[in-house]
Amino acid sequence: MKNLKSISILFFAIVLIATSCKKENLNTHQILDFHWHSMIGANEAAYATTYTSNGVNFNLSGWRYYVSNFTLIKEDGSEIKIADKVFLIDIANDDYSLDSVPVGNYKGFKFIVGLDSVTNHKDPTLYPTGNPLAIQDPGIHWSWNSGYIFMMVEGKYDSISPNNTTPNKEFFFHVGTDEFSRTIDFSNKSFSVISGEDKTIAIEMDLLKVISNVDLKTENATHSFGALKPLALKIATNWQSAFTVE
Amino acid sequence: MKKAILYFSFFLFLIAACKKENLPVDEYTLEIPKGFPKPSIPENNLPNADRVELGRRLFFDPILSRDSSISCASCHHTDKKFTDGLAKSIGIENRIGIRNSPSLLNVAYQPTMFWDGGVPNLEQQILAPIESHFEMDFNIIDVVARLNNSESYKALSLKAYDQLPSIFSVTRAIACFERTLYSGTSKYDDYVYNKNLNALSASEINGMNIFFGEEGECFHCHGTYLFTDNSFKNNGIYLQYQDSGRAHITQFPSDVGKFKVPSLRNVAMTAPYMHDGSFATLEDVVEHYNSGGKAHPNKSGLLLPLNLTTQEKIDLVNFLKALTDEK
Repeated sequence: MKNLKSISILFFAIVLIATSCKKENLNTHQILDFHWHSMIGANEAAYATTYTSNGVNFNLSGWRYYVSNFTLIKEDGSEIKIADKVFLIDIANDDYSLDSVPVGNYKGFKFIVGLDSVTNHKDPTLYPTGNPLAIQDPGIHWSWNSGYIFMMVEGKYDSISPNNTTPNKEFFFHVGTDEFSRTIDFSNKSFSVISGEDKTIAIEMDLLKVISNVDLKTENATHSFGALKPLALKIATNWQSAFTVE
Repeated sequence: MKKAILYFSFFLFLIAACKKENLPVDEYTLEIPKGFPKPSIPENNLPNADRVELGRRLFFDPILSRDSSISCASCHHTDKKFTDGLAKSIGIENRIGIRNSPSLLNVAYQPTMFWDGGVPNLEQQILAPIESHFEMDFNIIDVVARLNNSESYKALSLKAYDQLPSIFSVTRAIACFERTLYSGTSKYDDYVYNKNLNALSASEINGMNIFFGEEGECFHCHGTYLFTDNSFKNNGIYLQYQDSGRAHITQFPSDVGKFKVPSLRNVAMTAPYMHDGSFATLEDVVEHYNSGGKAHPNKSGLLLPLNLTTQEKIDLVNFLKALTDEK
């Protein structure tokens, strides 16, 4: 009789524990993902396609950029800085994850295009293959000054015009150096991270907005230094307005 | 009791033996010249025979270049004190570079790499010539892929760094090899460190006094056991510089035309001179400094007309020749 009572109590306890473990409202963190679209106007960016910007035809052979230093702004105004999360945005990949963030209501978020000045000068050979800051192929790091290229856009533009001829001359925009990192502010784009559900934010960058005031026929080369610096500045200045959060 | 002590000693021995196995480096000794301090070496790249051997093989192997024609040694010849005797170096497909090849002797002591100091250490340095379009025109990822097709490189990399050839093992090994390159046994060193008063002639001693004294003032930038302070200086070669030098990195207008002061050790064997190899002889260089240089706004205030006599110029050049390593 005693044994049956003990077993019943034990059984009851096990059931109680098992069912209470199933409850999900104890999650304090959930995954925050980005669905990150690289656009050219209304279209998803693709290589070997001809586009037009300010009346000049062009195609793309490369478009990648670094984003980092994400800050999430809570409802009460306090900020959560996500350390050590760097994305190398590539048109071939739309999915990037910030991993675990605290559950709650957020007023908005910020990030930078580029890298902070400490990360920008770290030794790229120390990152394992697959890390966005490791040496890439094609490269996106200036070995001669030990710094990263924040945004790299390459392709061909039509130097001849009128605008129904094939892009024939190469253009390249290599925007980097510490002073060209830019904070992208979405501090008024509220969102919620709910316990039990991972969250995805959809964001897009439109290359046409990045070069909205650039004339490819005369402004088609920058590596951010010397005489080519003003074009890099022009491009970096356009970054904020080139992003949209859905 | 005896048994316990025996077992305990055996136990300690096992621990000690195991510990030795875990040490990544043996007692490899760098042959540092008399009077030189120990160079600073990163903890994860302490030298041992395997690492130096891997680095040495890579240094002389043109596999690092796209068409397998150019190695590090192509611009850093062992018989020219690790320079190449050209004004500007030549890379693959006979592409002419933009600067003069600096000597790698004593490179372990340099706080920055290149004439403009753009890279902070030896480990990252090799990436630049590998990527440069007029040097090796390649990329480190492809270099590593090639090395992983070689049984001997795979074996050596495993021995040296406990991993197959990788960006890490390649960059570290070459740096390790370069940290074995020293120069500090010239007639000057014999005179100063061995106190051999017969090591220098009267002319060379006179030249030495000019170098280290008010007549020449050379020591201000070319002093210390390295014969450089590794600072960036504009020495008034041009009124307008095609190559902006340090300003290329910092983008400060005040850095235009400043280049890292090169070491004068072995200078008699490392012609031509300056960042662009525009001075063919030591006599030309002495003549330049004697004139006080051209009036570029960033020219170092240390440069003033010297008013050296003909004999003083000869003595100074003789002293510079006495900085050649006898080895």
